[in-house]
Amino acid sequence: MNSQMKKPIVKMEDVTKIYEGKVMHRALTQLDFDVQEGEFVAIMGPSGSGKTTLLNLLMATDIPTYGKIVIGGVELETLSQNEIALFRRHQIGFVFQEINLLQMLTVEENLVLPLTLDGLPVEEMRARVQDMAKKLHLEEILERRPDELSGGQAQRTAIGRALIHQPKIVLADEPTGNLDSKSAKDVLELLEHINLHERTTIIMVTHDPIAASYCDRVLFIKDGEFFNEIYKDERRQTFFQRILNVLSLLGGNVNDFSTVRLP
Amino acid sequence: MTFRQFAYRNVLRNRRVYAAFFMASVFSVMVFFLYSMLLFHPSIENTFLKEISSLGMGIAEVILFIFTLFFLFYSMRSFLQARSREFGVLLLLGMARRQLHRLIFIETMLLGFASIVTGIFIGFMFSKFFFMIVKAIVQIPVLPLYLSWKPFALTIGAFLSLFAIISYIAPVFIQQGKISDLLHGDMAVESVYTYSKSRGIFGVILLLLAYSMAAFVSRSSIISLFFLLPPLITVGTYYFFTDTLPLILHALRRQKQFFWRDYWMISISESIVRLKENARMFFIVTIVSTLAFMSVGILASLTSFASQYREVNPLGLVYKSLPQNEYEYRHIAHLATELEQQGIDYWAVRFRVLQQQSSYTKNTVNIVKLADLNELALSFGEKPLQLEQGHALFLPASASDASKLAKKLVHTELAESNMSLEIEGIYPYRLFPPNALGLNTIVVNHLDFDKVEEQTLGSSLAFTYYAFNIEKWQETKNVGLSINSQVLASIVLENKAPVRFEFENPGLNYSHIRMTFSLLLFMGLLLAGVLFLASGSFIYFRLYTSLSHDRKQYAVLQRIGMTDREFKKIVNRQLIPQFFFPWGVSFIHSVFAFLSLQVIWDALAEISIVKELTLVLLGFTVMQIFYFYLIRWRYISHIKAPTS
Repeated sequence: MNSQMKKPIVKMEDVTKIYEGKVMHRALTQLDFDVQEGEFVAIMGPSGSGKTTLLNLLMATDIPTYGKIVIGGVELETLSQNEIALFRRHQIGFVFQEINLLQMLTVEENLVLPLTLDGLPVEEMRARVQDMAKKLHLEEILERRPDELSGGQAQRTAIGRALIHQPKIVLADEPTGNLDSKSAKDVLELLEHINLHERTTIIMVTHDPIAASYCDRVLFIKDGEFFNEIYKDERRQTFFQRILNVLSLLGGNVNDFSTVRLP
Repeated sequence: MTFRQFAYRNVLRNRRVYAAFFMASVFSVMVFFLYSMLLFHPSIENTFLKEISSLGMGIAEVILFIFTLFFLFYSMRSFLQARSREFGVLLLLGMARRQLHRLIFIETMLLGFASIVTGIFIGFMFSKFFFMIVKAIVQIPVLPLYLSWKPFALTIGAFLSLFAIISYIAPVFIQQGKISDLLHGDMAVESVYTYSKSRGIFGVILLLLAYSMAAFVSRSSIISLFFLLPPLITVGTYYFFTDTLPLILHALRRQKQFFWRDYWMISISESIVRLKENARMFFIVTIVSTLAFMSVGILASLTSFASQYREVNPLGLVYKSLPQNEYEYRHIAHLATELEQQGIDYWAVRFRVLQQQSSYTKNTVNIVKLADLNELALSFGEKPLQLEQGHALFLPASASDASKLAKKLVHTELAESNMSLEIEGIYPYRLFPPNALGLNTIVVNHLDFDKVEEQTLGSSLAFTYYAFNIEKWQETKNVGLSINSQVLASIVLENKAPVRFEFENPGLNYSHIRMTFSLLLFMGLLLAGVLFLASGSFIYFRLYTSLSHDRKQYAVLQRIGMTDREFKKIVNRQLIPQFFFPWGVSFIHSVFAFLSLQVIWDALAEISIVKELTLVLLGFTVMQIFYFYLIRWRYISHIKAPTS
């Protein structure tokens, strides 16, 4: 499995998205890239560069105006509403900036939620929850409710929920956006760990060059168009510096980037 | 822009949010006004209907007022909650709390004025139509449209004060919130997960106790239960919603086999929150709908009483003359001419009823002649009977007596006339109203009858009973009115000139009963309809205020990969408890209440109210299901609408 690093799991072919309405707006222009199986990719770009649109297309809440998206050998456009739901349920996990845990469920129940929909035997669900809780260090707080969690704990729970059904791809939208630096580091290391050990493909949209420096590859887009991509090297520190370099080339507004600039 | 303008524009621009609130108020005002129009109607005011029906309408208006107060009060609260972000911004911009209160006060009063004016306007437009419905249902003479200041004054006064109360109290709800809480929209975060186990169990025990008492009620204990049951049920219901239901749902939650299945997890945990949040409202809805069910049920059973009236009163007119009644022949002749003048066919039979003492029971026994009975029976199309000398039949005073006496065999001797009789079996036809010829009556052969009369030299005559069998019995409304007024006059004079006769006109009584009952029933139904609509709108209103939260949740579930079908099922399981728990509980309450009511009816008139009640409860069920689908449809389309 891991010998076939070169097999693309996500293929974007000339994807263009135009929002029609009172003001026509071209959000993405002929975006064309692949993501290999087991890869950890960051997508960066200033505000309004089309990152969110891209993510929406990837999770099939929106369809491209032109071009096609193939995930795991399935072309998204050919799926019915029902199949899309099942596709999300089985193939994709989501992690968001605003941590969307269901308030009325405990941590344990939030974790198990995607599994209950598939009607697995309770024993298996319990085993998987225990397993996941151990990995994410959630054992102590399984009985708590979301409003009794710290930001980091909540985001870890959300990641657990995104991973519990062992999806092929995890889509993350600014997963560290609302976290303090310590929790952010924990979350990123966790994602890195999962990527390395579970061979889960992760596509992460982020503003934060530190977060991006954990990835294998960073893809830059600007005004809906492909701008550049760089691959990681031996040291994270230098990778981080290179990301910053591209970002300053990318221009845009200074405020769009992290205010933290490490030496 | 002045402050008042600001408030005015707020209302106008929030009209979509205010619409639900506004419509509910308008509807309440309208119904209240229609009742008032009926209450002050000149042609009702001057009839005998006045007393009972105005009492009924008065009660209906009071209930309507109190319920509207509650309804608007709760709606206002959740409505302000929905706008808490806006208030947060205003406070952040430096508005003083006092000013905010004034803003809310002005807004509410504006809305109040608008709904009073609109409600009365619509009400007045529909009042002619309303009167026509009343006329059709109640069968009273035409009610012309009239103009009087009274209904207007009552409605305006009532609702102005109501809105003043609400707009004065409502701002208190947002007083406690901190600005940051208001901005986040999570105001009044009561802990929805706390409940007391002991209170939960206490609630169930109270309800079960009340139910079993209602089910096993007897005639002797009914009065004390009448005072004991309502508080028991009320307290029990309150704890049922605040503690018992959460207790049960939390227990369910621990059953992972069950809870971790499909959509149950989301729906049950959502229900826990919703039921707890709205426990008090559900409690009120339950109690009020129980009241509504009961009043409609009672009224329906009164109508059922009317429809079984003929069965109980098979005779068209009844004249009972005691000895030394100087009017006897004059009255009978008068009745006969009146009937003939109005072209009503009749068959009159004169019964002479003797009274003797039984040596067997020492009680008095009334005696009638079989030949007289046969004559009356013939007019009903029944076959005449034969009786041997020395034999007698029981003439049961009522249906329940008939079954008791059917198998009885009694040897007795009539004390005064020394006649020995063997009484066996009952006279099979029901030709008289209950207790018409006395409580203890037997039928004898005409020879025996004459013998008794001879032996006692005529002193045994108890009374003479004239039975008029009239097929078109409902047409006798205007017969014997002068005799009635003579009876009335003697009642007014009290015992100074007691009359020696009794006269009954079932046709006239029936028309009174029927009119009063159907008017009351109509008003009860209308009231129940208002309560029903209001409680449904309330649930919708709550849903509406939590819409933004629900939408977010829907988005999450969609991303997790929930199909539309599954989502619908979740919504069902979320809405069904909210709709049907309060209603189901009040349903059960009413069933038990009617169980005990049936005991009262049994005692009063031997009438079964099962059929009417089944109809009433069934009708409400159908309406509720319809309403559920309507609101689910609106809710789902709101949830799916793009957030804007």
